Amino acid sequence: MDADPQPTDLDRYPTLTPAGQRLLSFLKEHPHAPIYRNESGNRLLPEEVARVRAFESEVAAAAIDWRAGKPPRWLEEFTASTYADVPHYRRQGVPPVRFEDIPSVSRADLSRDIAAFVPDSVPVERMINFRTSGTSGHPLLLASHPVVAASYLAFHKRALRRVGITLLAGAGEVGVVLIGHQKKCFTYVSVTPTMNEAGLAKINLHPDDWRDPEDRAKYLDDLKAEVYTGDPISFAELLTLPVTWRPRALLSTSMTLLPGLRQRLEARFQCPVLDLYSMNEAGPIAVADPNSGGHVLLQPRMYVEILDDEDRPLPPGERGEVTLTGGFNFCLPLLRYRTGDHAALDFRGPEPVLVGLQGRPPVRYRTTSGSWINNIEITHALRPLALPQWTVHQGTDGAVTFRHAGMDSLNTQLRQILQSILGDGLRLHIEQQDFLDGKVIQYTSDLADPATS
Amino acid sequence: MTHEGPPLETLLHRLAETPAEFLDEPKIGSKGRVHVDSVVADLLRLHGAAPTPSEMAAFTGKDASRDRNRLAVTLLLTWLAADEWFIKHRFSAGTLLPLLEGTARDLAEQTVAHAFLTDPDRSEEITRITLARLDFRPEGESPAQAQDRLTSLSATERSRVIAAARAAELRARAIREALAKKAAEESADKYTRE
Repeated sequence: MDADPQPTDLDRYPTLTPAGQRLLSFLKEHPHAPIYRNESGNRLLPEEVARVRAFESEVAAAAIDWRAGKPPRWLEEFTASTYADVPHYRRQGVPPVRFEDIPSVSRADLSRDIAAFVPDSVPVERMINFRTSGTSGHPLLLASHPVVAASYLAFHKRALRRVGITLLAGAGEVGVVLIGHQKKCFTYVSVTPTMNEAGLAKINLHPDDWRDPEDRAKYLDDLKAEVYTGDPISFAELLTLPVTWRPRALLSTSMTLLPGLRQRLEARFQCPVLDLYSMNEAGPIAVADPNSGGHVLLQPRMYVEILDDEDRPLPPGERGEVTLTGGFNFCLPLLRYRTGDHAALDFRGPEPVLVGLQGRPPVRYRTTSGSWINNIEITHALRPLALPQWTVHQGTDGAVTFRHAGMDSLNTQLRQILQSILGDGLRLHIEQQDFLDGKVIQYTSDLADPATS
Repeated sequence: MTHEGPPLETLLHRLAETPAEFLDEPKIGSKGRVHVDSVVADLLRLHGAAPTPSEMAAFTGKDASRDRNRLAVTLLLTWLAADEWFIKHRFSAGTLLPLLEGTARDLAEQTVAHAFLTDPDRSEEITRITLARLDFRPEGESPAQAQDRLTSLSATERSRVIAAARAAELRARAIREALAKKAAEESADKYTRE
């Protein structure tokens, strides 16, 4: 017997009904359908469908009311159970009395030995993986579960409710199209049992994945999906297509969505465009809300700290590394997990807000006058532009190379903006590229920063 | 174990009554509160020895994940070695430091510090080891009896540790294999991808 059999459709869609099967056929056999290259599914067992629905109700009703110095009530019990059940922590004995004395962990720790972070109480039989290539040199293979994957929707729904949207798609309708735009992309179709088998299609807009590039808009128009999800690169490509269908919302993840691109998407599709802060290690963490001045936290059982380099929590308003405790992935409970992203916390509203969220550690650039600016200033300056993706690199001679995947016509404006913040006389090379390779490191420099060297 | 020492019960009682300061979090970088190097230096002075900075360097950790348990065990050993009976015998730094450093490291590799207080066998083990490293045996026991009992306690613990390590390795392998399976690689539906 094969020890690792090929999954069957019964494994992928354990609760599939004839109506769901018809929808899958419609998605796959549509005359304008793309070449679907992979297979996957919801994998949810009947009792798990009920469990995910109950979780959605719980997430919808729960408040996120912890504050600086007043951690959530569940934190102590969560810490104790993590120290008791997770090998990495159990080796360290009992939890420190003060939460702040718990050593943080990073992506490098998870990358070194993911098994040490999986609780002993979690059965391995139905584990799935989330795989990320990563930009930090630490590729990750994360333990997860179909229930965890399905539970993402609870947080999407919470984010959408903030803009007055309740998802309604059900049987015979398409709930979501996940849109990618990469040379190689995992593509497949499925149904969502918690949404009465609304359809799910994960597609790649790259022309190589279509019999005819013209099919892309036709297919999207025929699917009439309730929501499109993607990233700034795929959404920028979507804008170039003659799609006439108007989804009820767009959800953007994976990289910074500049206000300029968000506004263009909103104008084009006449719907809210939500920028989610989300990662494989933790799922959807926060959603950008211009009225709140940052990203509003979404997970009721996620405690967020902003730490300095010595694991000390910083007070509200001070920037540091976003560090997570808790989460909904029961295969990977996080305890002071350093995300590599930076922000400040703000508690002035009803829910905690991450202000000035920036991926990866801050990088400083030397201006022509010899002063130094933080990369966040470049991000801010680029806000009006509809750039899907860009990188900035400063060489040892101070020259700056700016690569972007936006339109060529933006180059003049980009030059003006960059010279206005980095100084006149800046040696600047701007390159427009159709593709930047996957998840690139956005800000880099070869210059020794006097503040850190 | 050449010399007869105090009654075992006296030291077990002392261990059970370990004050909160000796159970607090060892200071490592920005974390914890107890400066273990200072506590060790105080013990050496009680014994009439003069601690040097280079000797004390071993009692400051750099990485809380790695050094915390070792330093917590050092604190327990320091508390035991500060018993009046030991102080009266005034041990040299050359005798005390290997106990507080090397023995603490060996014990910490097998057992988490709090178990020396909560598990009667581990309490007895750390107490007997303290006596043995200082060349004493519990009052009323012959050297052979003391050695037998300590060997038995340590062997039981070693067997437990080996069994636990084997189970942990099997579990880790099972997780890695589960995550590499075709079904796991297909993952499962999410409305968004990172």
